[in-house]
Formats: sequence, C-alpha cells, structure tokens
Amino acid sequence: MDDHLTPAQERDALAAELALGLLDGQARSDALRLSLSDPAFAALVAAWEAKLAPLHGEWAHAEPGDGVWSGIERQLAERPAETATAIETRLRRWRAGALLSSAVAAALAFVLITRPVPAPTPAAPQLAVARIESDAAGPLVLARYNQSNGLMQLRIHGFEPGALAPELWVIPEGGAPVSLGQIGHAGEAEMTMPPPHRLLMTDGATLAITMEPVSKTPHPAPSGAAVASGKIITI
Amino acid sequence: MQWPSGADEARTRLVAALTAVGRGDRAALREVYDMTAAKLFGICLRICGERASAEDVLQTVYIKVWERAGQFDAARASPITWLATIARNGAIDWRRSVAGRAARDTLPEQAAFAVADGAPRADQSLVAAEEGERLHRCLEELEDHTRLCIRAAFFDGSTYAELATRENVPLGTMKSWIRRGLLRLKDCLGDG
Repeated sequence: MDDHLTPAQERDALAAELALGLLDGQARSDALRLSLSDPAFAALVAAWEAKLAPLHGEWAHAEPGDGVWSGIERQLAERPAETATAIETRLRRWRAGALLSSAVAAALAFVLITRPVPAPTPAAPQLAVARIESDAAGPLVLARYNQSNGLMQLRIHGFEPGALAPELWVIPEGGAPVSLGQIGHAGEAEMTMPPPHRLLMTDGATLAITMEPVSKTPHPAPSGAAVASGKIITI
Repeated sequence: MQWPSGADEARTRLVAALTAVGRGDRAALREVYDMTAAKLFGICLRICGERASAEDVLQTVYIKVWERAGQFDAARASPITWLATIARNGAIDWRRSVAGRAARDTLPEQAAFAVADGAPRADQSLVAAEEGERLHRCLEELEDHTRLCIRAAFFDGSTYAELATRENVPLGTMKSWIRRGLLRLKDCLGDG
C-alpha cells in the first residue's frame, strides 16, 4: 500500500515506530543505530515518547517479589568504585585544552591516518578528514587513527565538565555500538586500540560520543542519544 | 517520613529522590524504588508476560535508573514518565531478545486486546491530567482498529508482525493503518 509519505513524514513515522516499539529484527537495529548517531532523529523519538506519555497513567500496578530489591543492591555492590575513567587511566599524556562552547548540539570531525596493511616503508601517512556538523558551536572531537599500530589520537574541545563524561563509541555498519571508553572534557589524548577493536575501525563505521555516568570500565551500551558523531573515512 | 497527600507533593518528592540518586545517593534509590516499583513492575509484567522474567527486567530497570539519574531533567520530563519509559523500553528490549522470544513462545495466548482497550484506569496521580485528556480525545478520533492496534503496541509491546497476525491482515496493511494513525494523531495533538 502506498501512502505517499514525504521523506520528512517517513522519518517521523520511523521515529514513532521506534518509540512505540513496533519494529523488530534488522529494522529495529537500524532505527536504534540511527537514533544513536543522529541527534535530530533521537529528538523525534523523544518527542513521540512524550506524546504517548499520558498512556503511562493506565498501567495496572503489580507488586514485585521481595528478592528484586536485594538483587538490585547486590548488583550495585558488585560495581567498581566509580572514580577515574578508562582511557584516562591508560593515558599519561593528558593536557588541558581550551574550552570552546557548551552547546549540546555538536560537531565531531575525524582525521584518520592509515597505511596499506602490508606497510612497505614508513612513508608519509595518508590523511583523510571527515566533518559532520549539526551545530558549528557545539563540542568538537578530532580523531586520528593509525591502522598500522592501532594508535588513536584525540583532540577534544567544548564538553562541559559535570556529572557526566563523554564516552566514545565505534558503531560498525550494521552493528551495535562498542564502547572505546570515556574521554576527557577537553585536551588531547592518545590510546592504543586493543586488537579486537581495531577490526571495527573501517571505512563507513561511525564514531559517536554520548554523555555517560563516570565509570572506570566502558559501558556495555549507551544510555542516551549521541551528542556528536561522524563517519570514519580512510584513504 | 510523611506520605504525600497530593499528586504535586508526590511528584516533588520523586524529583527530589531522583536528583539525589543522580548524585550517587543509594538510600535515595531505595526511596525511588518504594515509590515506583509497583507501577514499573506492572509495566514489566504486562510486556514480559510472566513474573520471573519481569522481575529480572525490573532489576535492570533500576540499575539503569541508578546510572542515568544524573541525566534526568525535571524541566523537560515528568519523573514518572521518565521512569516508565525506561521500564517499558527495558521490557521491550527483553521481548525482542532471543530469551524473550523463546519465553513468549511458551506462553498461552493473551486476551490482550480486551485489556488494552479497557477504560483508562484512574491512576493519573503522577501524570498530567490535561495532556492525558487530549491524547485520549485524539485517539478516539482514529478508526477503532487503528486505535486498538496502537494501544496493543504500547501496552503489550506488540510488533507489526504480531499485530498483523492477530488482526489477520497483511503486514503492509497493518503498517499502513498504524503509520497513518500515528501521523493523524500527531496532527490532532498539534492543533490542541
């Protein structure tokens, strides 16, 4: 059946479908990934959740068993002390940088240095730049990745210090986000990517940043929408 | 501690507790749990369909609340809506998972439509009554089968495929009903 929806209506309908939970399988994965990498789409999903919110007044209440709270307490007790961040502890070379703006909408640009896999000579690395902006005044992260030795260098600007820390994710095409750990609010950072993660740093994969509670270990999944994202481009 | 008498007081107290959870206060998490567990468990139980899984999901919901409370913004969302959305999304994640599918396959067929379209319960204490009235008026303007399916998706966590099977219509027809219904719903809410 052809409903002649405009592209904007299609996008809004997809946001509604995700908010309502109608999607399954690949369609659901695709929509979840879009909401993670595209703050404007995530805002549409949130708007639909808000429209439908009055229905939350209709749920029948039910009493959970006594074991639920003790299970929650046990899980909280098992969590590591939440102080330093993963990448920060691995990094020794941390320098404070200039804070730019504090706008939530963001820009993230990636610079990738790659070499052919069998690197014949240490020739000048090739350079690629990708820049995706939703707001020129937002936070900006430049990432530079050397495929031959797995070294990722970050230049970070414009995140407000606070209760939440920026966490970096790589999202392979057609896959779920994988945390690369938390990064600082500003400055420069370097990390050597663990070999399993190097395989994810391919052309077309997305790097994204979400704001997460401070944690020493990478989170298994993002808790909110991306504040910045950009595609990896290799040359 | 005195139990609040009015909806505003309950909301104020829940916002205060959630804000404290955002600062890492575990006692405040217990307070949030005591105020909201029956409601959030109702959500998990309805969507998961059985107690053991619903209780597992409820635990993960409060762990998420613990992790995300710092992101709660009382200026943007009502606290109970924020919590109910986390619970509903958690239960739907479980239903869409392999474990959820396997468990659901062994459950008896639910008389879900009858329940889903029952008269709205009077549990509006923490939800803004005025917005609720407008949404219900707009839902009433939709065709019956469209409204039933949208409500079944919300309250049962049904997918397009499940709704198409239940209503015995092709998948494309079901998508078309619901998409048109949702866009009409948006128009109706927009001009209110």
